[in-house]
Amino acid sequence: MLRTDEILSTIQMLHAEHLDLRTVTLGVNLDDCAGPDAALLCRKLRGKLARHAGNLVSACDRVAAKYGVPVTNKRLAISPAVTLLAGHGRAAALDIAAALDAAAGDAGVDLLGGFTAFCEKGITSADAMLIDSLPEVLGGTRRVCASVNLASRKAGINMDAVARMGRAISAVAEATADRRGFGAAKLCVFANVPQDNPFMAGAHLGAGEPEAVVNVGVSGPGVVASALRRRIELQPDLTLGELAEEIKITAFRVTRVGELIGREVAAELGVPFGIVDLSLAPTPAVGDSVGEIIRILGVERIGAPGSTAAIALLTDAVKKGGSFASASVGGLSGTFIPVSEDAALAEAVRAGHLVLEKLEAMTSVCSVGLDMVALPGDTPPETLAALIADEMAIGVINNKTTGARLVPVPGGKVGETVEFGGLFGSAPIMAVRNAGASGAFVSRGGRIPAPIHSASN
Amino acid sequence: MKPRFEAAYVLNVMAEDRPGIVAAVSGAVLDAGGNVDACSQTVLGGYFTLIMVVSFPAPLSEEAFVARLSGREGRPTGFQVQMRPFMPDLPPPGGAGCDNFVVTCFGPDACGVIHRFSALLADKGINIVDLYGQLDGERFVLISQVEIPRRWDLSMLQADLEALGAEQGYTVRLQHENIFIATNQLRLGRGEGPAAGAARGGGLNV
Repeated sequence: MLRTDEILSTIQMLHAEHLDLRTVTLGVNLDDCAGPDAALLCRKLRGKLARHAGNLVSACDRVAAKYGVPVTNKRLAISPAVTLLAGHGRAAALDIAAALDAAAGDAGVDLLGGFTAFCEKGITSADAMLIDSLPEVLGGTRRVCASVNLASRKAGINMDAVARMGRAISAVAEATADRRGFGAAKLCVFANVPQDNPFMAGAHLGAGEPEAVVNVGVSGPGVVASALRRRIELQPDLTLGELAEEIKITAFRVTRVGELIGREVAAELGVPFGIVDLSLAPTPAVGDSVGEIIRILGVERIGAPGSTAAIALLTDAVKKGGSFASASVGGLSGTFIPVSEDAALAEAVRAGHLVLEKLEAMTSVCSVGLDMVALPGDTPPETLAALIADEMAIGVINNKTTGARLVPVPGGKVGETVEFGGLFGSAPIMAVRNAGASGAFVSRGGRIPAPIHSASN
Repeated sequence: MKPRFEAAYVLNVMAEDRPGIVAAVSGAVLDAGGNVDACSQTVLGGYFTLIMVVSFPAPLSEEAFVARLSGREGRPTGFQVQMRPFMPDLPPPGGAGCDNFVVTCFGPDACGVIHRFSALLADKGINIVDLYGQLDGERFVLISQVEIPRRWDLSMLQADLEALGAEQGYTVRLQHENIFIATNQLRLGRGEGPAAGAARGGGLNV
């Protein structure tokens, strides 16, 4: 029999603190749709996605109702689209993107990830075509998300690809200037990209994954913040070690919600369950914020000295609690600090407490990188590329995933607030100091060699 | 459950709570040569209640047991004691094919709240296996663990309960018990039913 206090604490977490499951992402491999006839290819991929994803939303809704936990997002991740694009031209790339967009719409999902290429060591003609089609693809579709891996621990950093992506991000933003560059919010670049990430915009179904699989991403910053507040109210003098324990326990419970629902949705869809991504994913709702946790831990202004240490403590505790909760942990599994999607982070930028350089430092100990960062529209593509290169270096040297989702807002000036809407939130445009001073470095191109991992200091 | 001896009884004891009640009752069972086969106790508002399955080598009446209990204490115990023959292997009250759910209700205290919720459950053949109700400040908290026959459509049942709650200013939720097990216990589910099957990952690979 369940104990009353157990029931009440779960009710508190689910309903008073609004815990949700951030995303259930169904991965579908589309490699078998490839072929020389683009129209046939598009018909095949729509058919396959309809077969697998037709019941995704209803299955999520049924399971969510059974447990009283909302599934906020239902999404699709496909095997990297570059495989489908190989041998085709630009027109086919656009047709394929449109077919993916339509298939996602038919399935009732808001986003589909996997318009993806891997360029950490070199750029194939299909990779180049995918990258060059991004302005039209992301400008012309609603739901398609793209990602490009530019670096890895074993390959180093492909600076030619980094430079190309700097230009692509600028072009995507320009192509969606009427939406303040929103297209760039659907485009991620990575170092060491995970194969099973359920979160957008970087989700795709990588090599070695099953034909179809359900991966889930949890939410929970609000729940962690409430748990910490409760403990501190009872015992104001708790040490950071004791607070880390509280985060661990909460992460265990949050992860369990993800695993329970993910497994049951997978069973309903008749596909294997893949992983729970432990990442604490904030939402723009006030209170559901990673930044708020930094403040509760005692760093009054997010971005002040101590912020990086606080994020490190949080990320590690989340990983420890989550890893005990689930045998199937994967994806990014750390802490997200997407500026526009986290009200407290956005406010810290607005108040001048959090600057780009400090945010970058914080990304060295969290799980993603410079995420949903709005930048001035006149930031040169070379400077975007250099920002990406810095972020890639953090990932490659530290043997972790890092990414960048930069949104240069056409016509946007520093301090101006940009509204992206919904879960994408809003953020003030951040200043890029020394913009334009990295052009020569980026234009040298070539590959930054893979680092040595034996002398690990 | 199989009691140790043939003459088995369900024994119920109610008393003002104090140290020594269990010792007195179990001592009286032992004095009669009997065995306690199962037991459970609870205390509410300073009152103690105990339910036991006890068995003896020879039949024993309630009066005889109470006499042994008083004799042992050397004075009237003040216990209210009831004994009735134990029937092993009673069919499950909710019938076969049930799933375990938790109903939680939060709202203003008023006469008849428990009755209205429990009457709705009773009408649908839903058995309550555990019940907790407590005033928490101004708010009454009612938690029932229930067995719901699988024939019921869950969303309809949830809608009925929510509608009944709304009439009385209550927030009512009906949730499968596995969400509470998963978030509080070391295992993901109880080990039966579809969720636990899913938790084991059995038969899911395609």
